[in-house]
Amino acid sequence: MARYLVYRVAGMLPIVIGVTLVVFVVGRLAPGDPVQILFGDISNPVVEARARAQLGLDQPLPVQYVRYLGSLARLDFGTSYVYRGVRVSAMIGAALPVSLGLGVLALLLAVLAGIPLGLAAALRRGSALDQGVRLLTLLGVAVPFFVVAIGLVLLFSLRLRWLPVSGWGTPAHLVLPVVVLMLRPMAYITRITRLGVLQALGQDYIRTARAKGLPVAAVTVRHALRNAAITITTTVGLALSLAFTGAFVTEIIFGIPGMGRATVTAVFQRDYPVIQAVVLLYTALFLLLNLAMDLAYAALDPRIRYT
Amino acid sequence: MSGLRALRKDRATLAALATVALLLAAAIVVPYTTPVPYDVQDLSRTLEGPTAAHWFGTDQFGRDLLTRVAYGGRISFAISGTAVLAHTVIGTTGGMLAGYLGGTADSVLMRVTDVFLAFPPILFLILITGVLGPSLINIIIALSIVGWAGMARQVRAEALSLRGQEFIDAARALGATDRRIVVRHVLINVLTVALVRASLDIGPVILSEATLSFLGIGIQPPMPSWGVMIAEGLPRLRSEPYLALIPSVVLSLAILALTSAGEGIAEALDPRSRGR
Repeated sequence: MARYLVYRVAGMLPIVIGVTLVVFVVGRLAPGDPVQILFGDISNPVVEARARAQLGLDQPLPVQYVRYLGSLARLDFGTSYVYRGVRVSAMIGAALPVSLGLGVLALLLAVLAGIPLGLAAALRRGSALDQGVRLLTLLGVAVPFFVVAIGLVLLFSLRLRWLPVSGWGTPAHLVLPVVVLMLRPMAYITRITRLGVLQALGQDYIRTARAKGLPVAAVTVRHALRNAAITITTTVGLALSLAFTGAFVTEIIFGIPGMGRATVTAVFQRDYPVIQAVVLLYTALFLLLNLAMDLAYAALDPRIRYT
Repeated sequence: MSGLRALRKDRATLAALATVALLLAAAIVVPYTTPVPYDVQDLSRTLEGPTAAHWFGTDQFGRDLLTRVAYGGRISFAISGTAVLAHTVIGTTGGMLAGYLGGTADSVLMRVTDVFLAFPPILFLILITGVLGPSLINIIIALSIVGWAGMARQVRAEALSLRGQEFIDAARALGATDRRIVVRHVLINVLTVALVRASLDIGPVILSEATLSFLGIGIQPPMPSWGVMIAEGLPRLRSEPYLALIPSVVLSLAILALTSAGEGIAEALDPRSRGR
């Protein structure tokens, strides 16, 4: 396992270098001169040269890239183009926990609702419940986050007046965003649980377990669900990434001070270092998520042993 | 073709295809039939709900909503169609060459796809359109870059499985050049996989464009796009909910139809799932 971990992390290195290179190049292609943006119009060429050297812009591009990598390794994403002297890491530090918390909460609820739903649908295949679940998953996969959000706001905030339209701070503000965020991940989890359990139920060992007199519930949970767990785990990883990116749009609709709002604000203000930092952070997060899922397989399936 | 025969029996897929065709036809035809262009304002008739003159009502500038929804559909279909076409051509060419040639070309291409697949799609789109500007061409380029790596992977796997097959060896024994083998034998055989993948990609690409436009970093107003219209209708959700609701329903319907149609086509054309 330790060797596999080393192997996988080493395999991620070229990807990390490639990703940072792409983000670096896009940043260089951005319109505008960083010196002018950060220091304003400088008429004195000596002062301008000093400012340029201070930002490292007088160096050749490969040197600039290596320095960029060095600062990224220290989690230094540079300073904001808009708020003078404010570190990008400080701007993101405030918003990131909000978005990640929202995503994790939505994922937990999606797992708690999705696995039983999928299981129930698989056990009563073809029933009204199964049909209902299939319709729900189809809608969950196809209907965009912002459309779901608009529908729920119309119904629960504007018609029924049960919940606030938007805002942040009280538990009531949390309900609609979390429900919006959980539906799509839940649809994926339900769908894959149903498929995985159906597949497992067709296997010989299930018949054997039933034949030796094991109760249906025990067969379902101990054999069918456990064997479906591997496919479900992959989907949980996918679902979490859905919840994290879905949070971007959901935050905008509900006025939540998270990464989505920070990023869109940065785009409108042309605060390129913030945009670059957000993209890098989320890509790194998703890479780690993939790694975690791969490690989870090994834990769940004794047939998979990485040596 | 047995694939087409299977498709003819699949009612859900046929219904989805009919819906796609209907939306596409409406997007093309409706702007010609409505009395006003999408950006003509009539400030004496703002925010009218659906009427006989304006089937979908008018917005806060008195613009006809039906025209705008149809025109937004044109833009969505045109952008996603172009992006999917571009990433299909790039991905198929790259994947085919990597799979057929193998060796260094293959491993280099696979490492490059690793990098592009590592980016969460929506964030890559935000990076490109956010930093380089949300012009139409940047949006299409960004969408194509997001899609090509997955296409290349799938086509490469298919090409790789062809490499060791007898008809390829036979063609080479008959003196065919690499170029001829790639065009006449490999391309023909990976084309199904590429087309299936492309039909599955259109729905997600439309969703991405709508999301980007909704966030304000995609299609720019006054040009209508479903995402733009939903964002514009959002502040008036309380008083005039139809402004956001109508484009929302049309967008969801389009994605739903495209997704079901794509899955149905994939099932009918994929040789591996046929007969199941």
